[in-house]
Amino acid sequence: MRLADPDLRHALAASYVLGTLRGPARRRFARAAQADPALARLVTRWEEYLTPLAADVAPVAPPARLWPSIEARLGPVRAKEPTGLWASVSFWRWLGMGFATAAVALLALTFGPRVPPPADSPALVAVLSTPEQSPRMVIEESRGVLKVRVTAPWPPSTTQDHELWVVPKEGAPRSLGVVPLAGEAQLRPAQLDRLLEGGIAFAVSLEPRGGSPTGAPTGAILCSGPIARSKRA
Amino acid sequence: MSPGAPEADDLARLLERASLGDRAAFAELYRATSAKLFAVSLRIVRERQLAEEVLQDSYVAIWNHAAEYSRAKSAPGTWMAAIVRNRSLDLLRRGSREVEDVDEVLAGRLVDEGAAPAADLERRAGEHAVRECLGELEPDQRQSIALAFYHGLSHSELAGHLRRPLGTVKTHIRRGLARLRDCLERTGAVER
Repeated sequence: MRLADPDLRHALAASYVLGTLRGPARRRFARAAQADPALARLVTRWEEYLTPLAADVAPVAPPARLWPSIEARLGPVRAKEPTGLWASVSFWRWLGMGFATAAVALLALTFGPRVPPPADSPALVAVLSTPEQSPRMVIEESRGVLKVRVTAPWPPSTTQDHELWVVPKEGAPRSLGVVPLAGEAQLRPAQLDRLLEGGIAFAVSLEPRGGSPTGAPTGAILCSGPIARSKRA
Repeated sequence: MSPGAPEADDLARLLERASLGDRAAFAELYRATSAKLFAVSLRIVRERQLAEEVLQDSYVAIWNHAAEYSRAKSAPGTWMAAIVRNRSLDLLRRGSREVEDVDEVLAGRLVDEGAAPAADLERRAGEHAVRECLGELEPDQRQSIALAFYHGLSHSELAGHLRRPLGTVKTHIRRGLARLRDCLERTGAVER
């Protein structure tokens, strides 16, 4: 997508806001606007031009059951900068809150007390959700192999990769490798047991092609979820 | 103004309090805006269940990003409606709709003439300006833009509905948007 021509930039921003820009072109444009603040400002400008028209629409009351389910999904307020999330207190609070409920639910579902797990059942399971709480990935560990399943795929990208991290209770996240944007994968990192030791959550970050150049997460957190472990002796 | 019609300043205040973690303020914001935003999504996605999903995701996103909202950038209703419209449009897949359905749903209607101005999400000079500027467009341009905006129609759906060649529809939209921009910038309704 060539985005140097000012008239083309205007035309694309306008059709993005109007809604006639569709499919892959829409997603490409959204990504371009994320990386280009001037283009993002153009989108805001077109939103100001056109969106006031929405005031003409006659209101329709949503069903009353909607608010409680929205309220249940409201976490602590997030930090402004996605890259600052890793260091921010609110991210840890948010993770911690999810941990309390999700881990209990997962344990109850996956490892009910009356049913002893079969020998080949996973030793740990995690469901990774976006900050908006939509589930995107399931991760299972069994005998040194991490099985990664993307339940809600991301659009393909030729410029960026997703990197999986285990987040320990204390200390920096540890890389488990690059994971696919769709489908399934099996990861076999060396000394997986030691990498996972003390881990309380998995998280996936957006990284340049090939993974983080620094060994620490550099991009936004796409999804994360608490780790539930089976109580196998 | 009818009682209960939210003013932009009130919405901005509620958003500001929500950004500090005030759930009661956020609940009030929901009460004040959800019917309008639900209608905006419903028209685009055309299925209650999808519109309900959009609304839930949008309000969670509004809560999460309330701190990023700045009054200087745009009116609060515009900011929230843009989030809802974006999510609704992202759900639509190209070619997934039958042109016949479109005809049936639209029945030639463009804008709810019955929508009372007092029920507006907010009142702003820009809101009136965009309507006035739409009025300056050629009827074909105006109709295409209104159908795309209110009902989320793609170029090919517009072509089917308006019974015009695809290229003609694209030209109407492109020229219409360019003229709209000229008009809005000329009248000074929107800052540079």
